[in-house]
Parts: sequence; structure tokens; C-alpha cells
Amino acid sequence: MAIDWTTFALEVVNFLVLVWLLQRFLYRPVREVLARRQAGVTRTLEEARQAETAAAELQAQFERRLADWEAEKAHLRAGLQAELEAERGRQLQALTQTLAAERERQQAQEAHRQDQQRHELEGQAIQVARGFATRLLSRLAGPELERRLIDVFIEDLAHLPQERLAELDAAALGEERRVLITSAFPVAEVQRQRIAAALNARLGRSLALSWAEDAELLAGLRVALGPWQLDLSLADELDGFAQAGNHGG
Amino acid sequence: MESLPVLFYLGPLGITATVVTTWGLLLILALGSWLVTRGLSRDRPGLVQTALEGGVQAVEAAIEAVLPGRGSLLLPFIGTLWLFIALANLTGLVPGLHAPTGNLSTTAALALLVFLSVHWFGIRATGLGPYLRHYLAPSPLLLPFHLLGELSRTLALAVRLFGNIMSLEMAALLVLLVAGLLVPIPVLMLHIIEALVQAYIFGTLALIYIAGGMQSGPDSSFHRSGPSP
Repeated sequence: MAIDWTTFALEVVNFLVLVWLLQRFLYRPVREVLARRQAGVTRTLEEARQAETAAAELQAQFERRLADWEAEKAHLRAGLQAELEAERGRQLQALTQTLAAERERQQAQEAHRQDQQRHELEGQAIQVARGFATRLLSRLAGPELERRLIDVFIEDLAHLPQERLAELDAAALGEERRVLITSAFPVAEVQRQRIAAALNARLGRSLALSWAEDAELLAGLRVALGPWQLDLSLADELDGFAQAGNHGG
Repeated sequence: MESLPVLFYLGPLGITATVVTTWGLLLILALGSWLVTRGLSRDRPGLVQTALEGGVQAVEAAIEAVLPGRGSLLLPFIGTLWLFIALANLTGLVPGLHAPTGNLSTTAALALLVFLSVHWFGIRATGLGPYLRHYLAPSPLLLPFHLLGELSRTLALAVRLFGNIMSLEMAALLVLLVAGLLVPIPVLMLHIIEALVQAYIFGTLALIYIAGGMQSGPDSSFHRSGPSP
């Protein structure tokens, strides 16, 4: 087969035209799409890298903040611990003081209570003793004892201090010189005269004496002169003993 | 010498069936390319687009394997060679048509274009002086052999493709004459394989020749990144 030069030339032209056509309609569009896709992938990768970098930065920032927060928390905790210790010390001191005050108050109350109880016991003991003494002296009391008490009365009256005599004298003037003499047992006339003589002699004037009996006196006399009275009886002595015991306790 | 039958005249030019068939192929390829690349999507490629992108990338990868960094430069020429020759070879399967590559005029035209492309890309890559000097290397005495080699390999390109495709059609015709309708399918499969193999061989040889021309200069390095100016 020979070469047809017209065909040869046209085929050269045809191929060159085909190269242009395919470059225009096939290769270039496909390559452009591939390039755009590659650019998109590159951009996406770049964005992913940037996002990763940003995430790493955020993580580092978060860790820094976390560390700062931990340090601040430790600092605050230490401060709070110190405040708690100080407050605990203050509270303990206040509590100690309160307890000491309360203890003192309790001790004072207990001492007062014990004192009061002791006082009550002493009073009760005195009353009991008075009862015993009263019962005993009631059995011992009698005209003989009373006569001896009258002797003691006359003897005490003779030794009565002068200022007491003045008081009695003043009282005797205000009551029209009436004197009430109470005894536990009937007083014999002799004894009455001895008593009257002793009173008249001591006060220096004649007194009007009236006589009464009171078994409560047990034995002895009670001479009432106005607001004043002179006692020398077992009952009065027991009362005086009881009162002295109560006041003395 | 047998002359090609002229179908019609276009002015003084006698248009043969080979040229008309080539025009048809041009039309099919151009129209098909336009159709399949109309609605290319960057984010949602369809099946056809995926296949198209795969094919283009495969061709570019094959070029890059020989000439790293020159895939985009040589894709139009080498890719068109492979596509046109494969399609032209397969045209012979269509009843009533003959493969344009079964015509020596077509294969000679393609070989001439390869010949010119080798020098064009070689001079672009290395410069005119260095490129021409490589014919004198390693000794000026080898210049005739260089020139003879250029002519012989160009002639071999044209004759190889022409001979194979013409003989393939003739062999198929003979087999059909002898065996009738008993062996059409094996023959057709052989035809397809041979057509694709010949297209691959022609395009690969063209690529290798061009690569040889581009790498002939003393300061030419195709391993450097980026195309030459």
C-alpha cells in the first residue's frame, strides 16, 4: 500500500485537531476538577491542622488554667486551714474560759448548797438536840430545880450591869411599875418575897408584882417589865441555845 | 503501489475513507468528551466521572513513571495517541469500516508527529544547541548512526502499527473465509487484544522516544521539579 499524501497531510491535521479537542474538552476539565478537589483536600487538611493546633492550644490553655486553679485552691485551702486553726484556738480558749467560769459557778453553787445543807442539818441537829434536851430537862424539872434557878436569878440580878439596870428602870417607869413574873411551878411565898425584895432593891423603888404560871418554861422564871424581860428558865435557855446554834452555824 | 479510493473531493483534496473514518472518530471523541465532562462535580463524582478521572490519572501516572514531573506536559499528546490509536484499531471490528491505522498514510502521519514531538519537546527541555549536540555525542562520527536511528525508529513506528493492524484484518478475513462462522468470537477477542496492545506499544514507544529527546541534553534533568520554561 502506498502513502496517499493528501490523506497523510489530513491525518496529521486531524490528529493535531484531536489533540486540541481532547485537551479542550477532556484533559483540561478533568485535570481542573482533580486540581480543585486536591485543593479542597489540601484546604481541608490545612483546616484540620489548624483545628488540631487550636485544640492543642486550647488544651494547653486549659491545663494552665487547671494548674493555676489547683495552685489557687491549695493557697485558699491553706488560708482556710489557718483560719480554721485560729478559729479553733479561739473557740477552745473561749470554751475553756466558759468551762472555768461554769466550773467556778458550779463550785460556788455546790459550796453554797453544801453550806445551806450543812446549815439545815445543823438547825435540824440543834432542834433534835433541843428536843432531846427538852425531854430530858422536862423529866428533871421540878420545884426544887426551879428554887435553885430562882436563887441563880437573884444572884444574876445582883450582878446585872448598871446600863442594863437603867434600861429596866426606864421601862418600869413607863409601865406604872407593873411587873409580870411567870414561873413553871407555883412559887412559894418565901421565894416570892425574896424575888420582890431583890427587884425592889436593885431598881430602887417598889414594884407591883403579878404572878403567873407557864409550864412551857419547864423550870425557872420570866420577869416581864414593859418591853424588857429577864429570863432564867430552862425553856428560854434552850431557845437561846438553839438560836445561838443557828446563828453560830 | 495501490492508491487509496477517493470518496469525494473537497476542493483539490481527495477525501478517502480513512480520512472520513478519522473524522468520525474525531467527532465521537470530541462529542463524547464534551458530554462526559459537562457536569463534572468536585465533591460528588459519579460512576462515569470516576472512571474518567481514573483513566486520565492512569495515563498521567504512566507518563510520570517515565518522565517525573512531565505528566501534565505530555498528557495531551501521549494520551491522545493511546486513545486515538486504540479507538482507530477497534474501528476494524465494525462491519463495513476499516481501521484508519490499517492505512500506512495514517500511521506515517502519527509517526511523523512523534518524530517532530521528540525534537520539539527535546529542544524545549534542553535548548536547541545542547539538543543538537547530543547527536555528536559521544563522538561526531556517530552522527550518521544517530540520524539513521531517528529515521529507522520513525519508520518502524509507522510500519509496525500499519503492518500489525493490516495483517490482523487480513488474518481475520482469511480465518473467516476458511472457518466460516465457527470462530468469529475468538477472532474478535484477538482483534480487541491486538488493537489495545498495538495502541499501548505505539504510545509507549512515543513516550520513550520523547523522554530520550528530553533527557539528551547535558544539563537536562527531569527529576527536577516543575516543567521547563
